[in-house]
Amino acid sequence: MLGTIIQQTVNALTIGSIYALIALGYTMVYGVLRMINFAHGEMFMLGAYAAFLALTLVVGDIGAVGAIALTLVFFGAIVAVGFVGVGIERLAYRPLRNSTRLAPMLSSLGVSLSLVTGVQILAGPQPVGFPSFFPTTRFDVFGGTVTLVQIGILIAAFILMFGLYTLVNRSRMGIIVRAVSESRPTAQLLGINVNLAISMVFFSGPLLGAAGGILYASYYGIMSPTMGAVIGLKAFTAAILGGIGSIPGAMLGAYILAFVEVGGTALLPVVSGGVLGTEYRDVLSFAILILVLLIRPAGILGEPVSEESMVYKREF
Amino acid sequence: MKFAASLCLGVSLLASHALADEVTIGLAGPLSGPQAYFGSTWHNGFKLYVDQLNAAGGVNGTTIAIDQQDDKADPREGTLVAQKYCDNDDVVLGLVNFNSGVAQSTLPIYEDCSLPTMTFGSNPALTQQGYKFMVRPVANDLAGALLPAEYALGELGAKKAIVVNDKQVFGQGISEIFANNFTTGGGELLDTLAIAPTDVDFTAVLAQIKSKSPDVIYLGAVMPQLALFAKQMHEQGVTATLLVPDGGYTPDFISQAGEANVQGAIVAIQVPPMDASPDIAAFGKLYKEKYGEEAGPYSIYGYVQAQILEEVLKTTKGFSREEMNDALHAVKVKTAVGELEFDEVGELKVAPSYLYKVEGKDFMMIGSK
Repeated sequence: MLGTIIQQTVNALTIGSIYALIALGYTMVYGVLRMINFAHGEMFMLGAYAAFLALTLVVGDIGAVGAIALTLVFFGAIVAVGFVGVGIERLAYRPLRNSTRLAPMLSSLGVSLSLVTGVQILAGPQPVGFPSFFPTTRFDVFGGTVTLVQIGILIAAFILMFGLYTLVNRSRMGIIVRAVSESRPTAQLLGINVNLAISMVFFSGPLLGAAGGILYASYYGIMSPTMGAVIGLKAFTAAILGGIGSIPGAMLGAYILAFVEVGGTALLPVVSGGVLGTEYRDVLSFAILILVLLIRPAGILGEPVSEESMVYKREF
Repeated sequence: MKFAASLCLGVSLLASHALADEVTIGLAGPLSGPQAYFGSTWHNGFKLYVDQLNAAGGVNGTTIAIDQQDDKADPREGTLVAQKYCDNDDVVLGLVNFNSGVAQSTLPIYEDCSLPTMTFGSNPALTQQGYKFMVRPVANDLAGALLPAEYALGELGAKKAIVVNDKQVFGQGISEIFANNFTTGGGELLDTLAIAPTDVDFTAVLAQIKSKSPDVIYLGAVMPQLALFAKQMHEQGVTATLLVPDGGYTPDFISQAGEANVQGAIVAIQVPPMDASPDIAAFGKLYKEKYGEEAGPYSIYGYVQAQILEEVLKTTKGFSREEMNDALHAVKVKTAVGELEFDEVGELKVAPSYLYKVEGKDFMMIGSK
């Protein structure tokens, strides 16, 4: 029993970490631009494909790669996707920034579809096996099994999230981003380079998303052009649950969603005496989402909508 | 004007009936997506034999044209394709839908336009709905899930099983049949778990399974979930033997799960090994020459269906859809997998099925029926 609890906890933490890395991208973009970036799930997918490309191009034989080469590939791929994110913002969102609020969202849907189709054409629509970035060692902990891949994902995700936290809260760049997120017109009036802050957000969001994609692909050993759709929706849900626009909220929402999913799978059949099977997992998680939103419409850590921001919203 | 149009139509209808020096066959199956390998290699087997027939001048002078469409293993796409074939008067026979779930939604459409089909979906219910225009030239899931249950109880000595399915027509159907066969054979079914067809993470389900320590797990799903499940099962330290349906009979199953993670996994499929008979071996060689790769899991059935088609074209009274349908139901033909004929609902009278075990990078045959 203890083994099962430990195992399920680690399972939930692993999925939660991946959700969190992606949810951060949704929430940061919403924070500064008040827009939902539907193409963000595709950054996750691009991360896995970029890493795979780098592995096959640079290293050739995937079987015999050292830890240093893998680390380089990992960072190379996520930085590359970060720049893709900046490029997409520059080309597809910035020209629309001062038009209606819906225009950039539609544009992001278009970007999402073109990226999926593009990868399908270039790399083929079939799922492709992905080499694990971690050795496949297993540990037995009180009867539960924990893999090195899971531990690696947890550590990598924590490092990346801590890095983002430091960047946002402790650096000058972070102050600029937070200022723009609070009020773009005021920040602009004070002489802050708003475009730089937005580019920064569109760099770090996709970078984290891509990292999530690589970790995900090494965990499940598979990648496909459409992998961003389902997981992107889950991460988006997590961001809303935690309070979209809030960085700690996205992380919290992601872990809550993961624990509800795993807990739902584990407990639903037991609690309901076999009436509700594991297939009701998604019903449970989304029912909880609705419940949370009924009680706290802005999400768990979301800021309640103030008088000022209502005025701000009415402009659009 | 109206008269002229109807005259034109009449003439063209007459022409297509009178001449019929070419018949068109509709080929629908998954040509993209995770199951593309099955669909395209199945169709390739069919085309291989048809090309031979055409090169020899056709069947009694009738050549065969192919209209190949991608149903993406998706019922919505499948119905669009079905309507397309129905509306095309040249199409006289359909070689359709690899997936039971797709066939379930397209068969009524084919029935409505009297287009005879050789259906590949293996869910037993498909032939139980009174369709007059379908036959199934492959063993259904009743046969497909009997052999693995017998093997688990007999050879493996399994007592306790857990069944996992993806809640789709095929996956749920075949896993229920397995569960039935397993319990009537004296085994105990510990639990039935369901997963969503888009799931990639089975760790939570597996942790539950592990706490019940079954001897065998039957997974009624398709690729790539079969590979993902096998991989995570091994990683989570679940030691039960994994039994999967035909979808696992592909090199992708071993490569995507990781060779070490699928050793000993058992796959049930209606396909004989490529060295089972001289006919099949010869087909394998031909296929490799033509397409530059090994024949796919269902290529041989594509080839067999073309042999059935040849016999139908030889025996049919005419080339209307109804006449083709009569000939199809009455067909009795010697094919690469043996002599085939259909019963009154369009099911094979004798339907072979086989069992394979993953050893190294290969599938070793361990049983047949």
